[in-house]
Amino acid sequence: MYAASVQELIDELGRLPGIGPKSAQRIAFYILKSPAEDARRLAACITAAKTKVTWCARCFNVAEGEAGVECEICTDPRRDSSALCVVEEPRDVVAIEKTGEFRGRYHVLQGAISPIDGIGPDQLRVRELLARIDAEGVKEVILCTNPNIEGDATALYLASLLKHLPVKVTRIASGLPVGGDLEYADELTLGRALEGRRELA
Amino acid sequence: MTIVHFDWLSLKDFRNYRFVEIALAKEGITLFIGANGAGKTNLLEAVGVLATWQSFRGAPPEAMVREGASQAVLRGQVSREGRSVLVEAELNRLGRGRLQLNHQAVRKLQDLRSALAVTVFSPDDLELVKGGPQHRREYLDDLLASFGPKYGAARSQMERALKQRNALLRAAKGALRGAMAMTMDVWDAKLAEAGEAVAQARQELVEALVPRVAAAYGRLSRWAPGSSGEAIGLQYQRSWQGGLLDALQAARPEDLRRAVTTLGPQRDDMVITLGGLPARLQASQGEQRSLALALRLAGHGLVTDQGGSRPVLLLDDVFSELDANRCAALAESLPLGQALLTATEPPAVSLPLAARARVAAGVIER
Repeated sequence: MYAASVQELIDELGRLPGIGPKSAQRIAFYILKSPAEDARRLAACITAAKTKVTWCARCFNVAEGEAGVECEICTDPRRDSSALCVVEEPRDVVAIEKTGEFRGRYHVLQGAISPIDGIGPDQLRVRELLARIDAEGVKEVILCTNPNIEGDATALYLASLLKHLPVKVTRIASGLPVGGDLEYADELTLGRALEGRRELA
Repeated sequence: MTIVHFDWLSLKDFRNYRFVEIALAKEGITLFIGANGAGKTNLLEAVGVLATWQSFRGAPPEAMVREGASQAVLRGQVSREGRSVLVEAELNRLGRGRLQLNHQAVRKLQDLRSALAVTVFSPDDLELVKGGPQHRREYLDDLLASFGPKYGAARSQMERALKQRNALLRAAKGALRGAMAMTMDVWDAKLAEAGEAVAQARQELVEALVPRVAAAYGRLSRWAPGSSGEAIGLQYQRSWQGGLLDALQAARPEDLRRAVTTLGPQRDDMVITLGGLPARLQASQGEQRSLALALRLAGHGLVTDQGGSRPVLLLDDVFSELDANRCAALAESLPLGQALLTATEPPAVSLPLAARARVAAGVIER
């Protein structure tokens, strides 16, 4: 159909998450039409990111530098090391950071327990999490895995490991989006929010 | 009591229909008569698709598109309490179908369920009594799903946890090593939590059904000699005893050996007895048919009372399988509301018909 190099580009783009064959084709032709300089810059960005970025040696968030480096949050002395927020993916760190509500540190598991996908505790950064509790004087672990069955199972698993340690374990609440309307909430979320209702003083 | 009914229906390129549009009687029985293969069941199937977005014959969407066409379109106007709603379904040979309520895409099937409901009686219902436990679980699950979204959520949680647990059992290859044992604890807990909710809901439903099934069966077998007065028993039978969590943990060695979860709601059954004997094995063919009808009538009654509106009845060829006495009894015990009935020939008993139509080769004539 296309020249081999074009087809190869489309195939490579199509392997990216969330990009189907049609989008891959569109992006490929956009790149081909744009100035050579733009394409070079994109290629350079990808290689640079891939070589410069590594996992933070402490929390397994993304970090920039040689292997063994720590991320900006872990090296920030103003951060409260007694509170540790456990999330599945680096993008969850970004989501929580945007709230501005959390001044503690993070631990990125890099996934959730899912036997169907062949992911068990050994494939996650669980051992590294346990090692941090004592070493960093953590007083509270906040389990912020996704509110789906795999995330819940992962939280349950971590809670059963952590109960032997002198640390408080909490789970993020699920409920209604703020500023929204009740009528637009789905039944499941609304049901959970009702279950987790609180008394007003 | 709110009556929900179809004012009219139109089918385009659905099964053996090129195009057909019919107005329907608001209340009472409309009889569709036609030879085998004329398209009577197809018509009821179309109504079922509009109400549930699936075929009660279990057909995939592409199988329902007419040979030679690429898309089938079903439309129907449903009225309840003077308000009317337009339901439209588009089935494609390739790609996904579309479902609309008043020209708006239906995002959740629950929205469709609250707009209209149907109760289907088909010759396959005999499987409810005679067939494997999956038919009876499906019967209970369908009824529970019509009562609200909570049950469906618990069930999909249970199925997901079950899949994960089974995947872990397969990965363990007979023995749990390292962190696996604790992971198994987690899946046991998730499965137990959702599974208990599912079993509890099903059990409560069965208890609510018992008097209704007994009453319906009593009415149906009134004239059948020898079968009157036999007590109906209906019991939800769990595949475990005590708490599900304890049972799962006790079954773990066996589950590991067989690499599958051997107990839980996915293995439960609803045991039907007649005069103390299991109906599945001991009842006569005629008794089994009456029981299947009684189960449908009971479910219909319960949905009517709980939902506050009467589902549309779809009766596919139910009279041909019954003797004259049972036909008469069924005709009398049919609830009010809109009912669409198919038959190959006029029923032996006189039915109070609201309308009748003839179906031949994809054409419907009044």
